[in-house]
Amino acid sequence: MINLKVVSPQKVIFEKEVEMAVLPGAEGDFAAMPNHSPFISSLRPGQMVIMSANKVDESFFVSGGLVMLKEKVCEVLVDQIESLSDVNSSNYQQSKTFQELEGNETALGTFEQVVNNPPYK
Amino acid sequence: MPNLKELKNRISSVKSTRKITSAMKMVAASKLRRAQDLAESSRVYADSLSFILSSLAGNTKNSSDLPEILTGRENSKISLLIINSSDRGLCGGFNSNLFRNAKNWISEQQEKGKSVKIITVGKKASSFYRKTDLDVIANFDDLNSNDKQLQVSEEIKNKIMELFENNEIDEVSILFNKFVSVIAQEPTYQSLIPLSNDEADEEVTDTSNAVFEFEPDKNELLEYLVPRNFLTQIYRSVLESSASEHAARMTSMDNATRNAGDMIDGLTLTYNRTRQAFITKELIEIISGAEAV
Repeated sequence: MINLKVVSPQKVIFEKEVEMAVLPGAEGDFAAMPNHSPFISSLRPGQMVIMSANKVDESFFVSGGLVMLKEKVCEVLVDQIESLSDVNSSNYQQSKTFQELEGNETALGTFEQVVNNPPYK
Repeated sequence: MPNLKELKNRISSVKSTRKITSAMKMVAASKLRRAQDLAESSRVYADSLSFILSSLAGNTKNSSDLPEILTGRENSKISLLIINSSDRGLCGGFNSNLFRNAKNWISEQQEKGKSVKIITVGKKASSFYRKTDLDVIANFDDLNSNDKQLQVSEEIKNKIMELFENNEIDEVSILFNKFVSVIAQEPTYQSLIPLSNDEADEEVTDTSNAVFEFEPDKNELLEYLVPRNFLTQIYRSVLESSASEHAARMTSMDNATRNAGDMIDGLTLTYNRTRQAFITKELIEIISGAEAV
């Protein structure tokens, strides 16, 4: 198990033990698992998922950020994050993230895409 | 002899002042709790970010490889000072301490032959520096909600990035009241350009065994990190300053409430004495009148 810690500039959003987390790295998605080599990457806007036993447990949209991966710890510094279980394709335009991202076309475009057609289901 | 009616009016006016100050104290106390929570919860992000930045910068052996915005320019001529004051008064020496400190700092810089530019945060600073002949390039005020604080931090960040790129400034520092405890706030400087790394150094030695891989390469990562770091540092100083403001207001309003209490005691004593004196005087008058008959 790896300790996944998601932090926004305002607060710690959540912290929990997970089997695997898939993150949208700047140069491609990667999975954070225990004993990964120490690694720092920036994130592109995209989908972050928490998985166990090859199934998606939880799914989020992140608008960008940074990730620092150590042996047993994965720290994700996000700009914005939204749980996709709260948002579905019909109401994504009402979501807080949508309004906050207005003006940021790449992130907004990806948000729409992730909501309507998430890469990981 | 003081007039009884007048004394009574004064007592009631001091009483209502005491009510106001004690209410302000309680409001400040509850706001302080929130501000402190915010300051603490934002610390996690700031710490991780500065850790990443320092491990990235520490990883680059030759400091000349690092961008100017981290290391600062040689022969810097113009320094920018961001002053974090409050929007409202009645908070003791909170703002005046800060301005006195800033004055010393500014004259120090000017002795070194640098010119100083200022960005003010909070209404108190903007009205104070409007009267001086210093070069104030921007004002930000009404930081009454957390969203607004973040938004203002973002605007300041954009401003300094733009100014630095246009060679209008060479150095940037922030001045804010650091929250030490409820009774102590300390004016503190933090250098943004060049990056101050006293905290960072310690942490790097802690975990020097972990050698990180970076993706994408360092320069691209730095391009993302540097503005982020400015934003978090500014945001953090704004939050610290707001916690300090409420703490300062709480302490000074507590003092004011106590002083008002003392004053009421004194006035009540005088009131009673005067009343007694009037009664005695009237009695003497009646008795001596009766004797005369």
